[in-house]
Amino acid sequence: MKKTIFALLSLVAAPSVAAPLELASDVFVEREHKRPDGSVATILEEPKLVLPGDQLVFVVRYKNVGAQPASKFTVTNPIPRAVAFSGTADGTEIVSIDGGKNWGLLTQLKVSKADGTFRPALPGDVTHVKWNLNQTLAAGSAGKLVFRGVVR
Amino acid sequence: MTSKLKFLVAASTLPAVIMNASSAYAAGTLVGTDITNNVSVAYQVGGVSQTAATDSNMFEVDRKILFTVQEDANVTTSVVPGEQNAYTTFVVSNTSNDTLDFSLNPTQLGGGTATHGGTDVFDVSNLEVFVDSNGNNQYDFGVDTATTINDLAPDTSVRVFIVGDVALTQTNGQVAGVTLSATALNSNNTAITAATDATANTDGVETIFADTGRDGIESDEDDFTVSTASLTVTKLSRVVRDNLNGAGTSADATNPKAVPGATVEYCIVVANTGSQTATNVAVSDDLSLVPDVTFDASFTPATDGTVVSGNTCTAGGGTGSFASNIVSGTLTNIGAGQTRTLVFRVTID
Repeated sequence: MKKTIFALLSLVAAPSVAAPLELASDVFVEREHKRPDGSVATILEEPKLVLPGDQLVFVVRYKNVGAQPASKFTVTNPIPRAVAFSGTADGTEIVSIDGGKNWGLLTQLKVSKADGTFRPALPGDVTHVKWNLNQTLAAGSAGKLVFRGVVR
Repeated sequence: MTSKLKFLVAASTLPAVIMNASSAYAAGTLVGTDITNNVSVAYQVGGVSQTAATDSNMFEVDRKILFTVQEDANVTTSVVPGEQNAYTTFVVSNTSNDTLDFSLNPTQLGGGTATHGGTDVFDVSNLEVFVDSNGNNQYDFGVDTATTINDLAPDTSVRVFIVGDVALTQTNGQVAGVTLSATALNSNNTAITAATDATANTDGVETIFADTGRDGIESDEDDFTVSTASLTVTKLSRVVRDNLNGAGTSADATNPKAVPGATVEYCIVVANTGSQTATNVAVSDDLSLVPDVTFDASFTPATDGTVVSGNTCTAGGGTGSFASNIVSGTLTNIGAGQTRTLVFRVTID
């Protein structure tokens, strides 16, 4: 019963607020460029030339463009199948290794092996990454979340 | 804590699908695969859940040309003089993220040190290259006829043979070096135009060479080494008895002299200094060319003996023959480093 009301409320509320939270997802390829003096600079490029093994940096930007503070927001990002997750910039995420059914810290998750035993989950097993941001985002304020992956 | 508990329950029923999800090509994500990243944000305003905000981003995986050419079994290939269609095997492996064709180019070393340390001193004739079309890892004349590799899928390999003929005049230990060079082509057999570091990237699929030298060409060397029997023939003789000093007794064999009427033993020594067993070794000695001796019919020519010392041989277990004034015998197979003899006797006229 509670759920029904909840859904109805959100249905009513959504059109009136008109997406007060703006979201943008970008992907960059991390490359090393040799400077003339021989030192190496790491730069982020548009993903125009992408090959297996390339390092990717995913950047999720969010901004509250509404007039009200937003709270209890969670950011969920499924990892593309062709990408092996390799970690986030802040380390505050929880992850799923089973398509978003179960969530936890990567160190808590285990993968079943063919022989029936379990092994600790590895970054490459991650299927989803999620941030539960227990903070209020004031009107007009913004933030970003960064995670990395490798093209399989 | 709740999420942990939830996991423990779920762990016992975790499907095998999780394992499969991470399986991927060693060659990597296939060319042209779209990688789409979706992100969504759920949030509340004024304590009320709002429609989730979403965004996505897509890009396409480009083509990475990566392959190897490697000699199969890192040893020289033994051949014998006169061998037709002698072949050595290479493996071409495609670790690109796309299916490719390859053109093949066999070449011969022009002297110098061959890959397995020998000195290149000859070329094989009728040099050709063929693909192992039936996958049985050996060259089948008339069956393996393709001279280019067609549609080699990612993470697969195929064997390629360099085939040639060895002249009958080649001798034991001689080496012929060969090189197989493979050039990557598009799967429709056209040349690949690769982007370089200087080319501006586009949103479309680009190709880059990631192989050694980044040129789309790989090669490896092998060599043929002639391995054959090498026979030397030596003819020894000694006076067995002179039939004067106590003829017919053992004393007759003491310091016999090579006088008319004396018995002389010939020993033809065949030694194999090569590296292969010699078979069907036929030895003959035409006594008409040896003046002033007559074949001693009381002593049957003996084969397969050995040299004892100096000019003395043992008469072996095999028997030879004498006909038309020619002594002959066939020796049992002579292994590498072995010696066998044909022993017969004559009397001095």
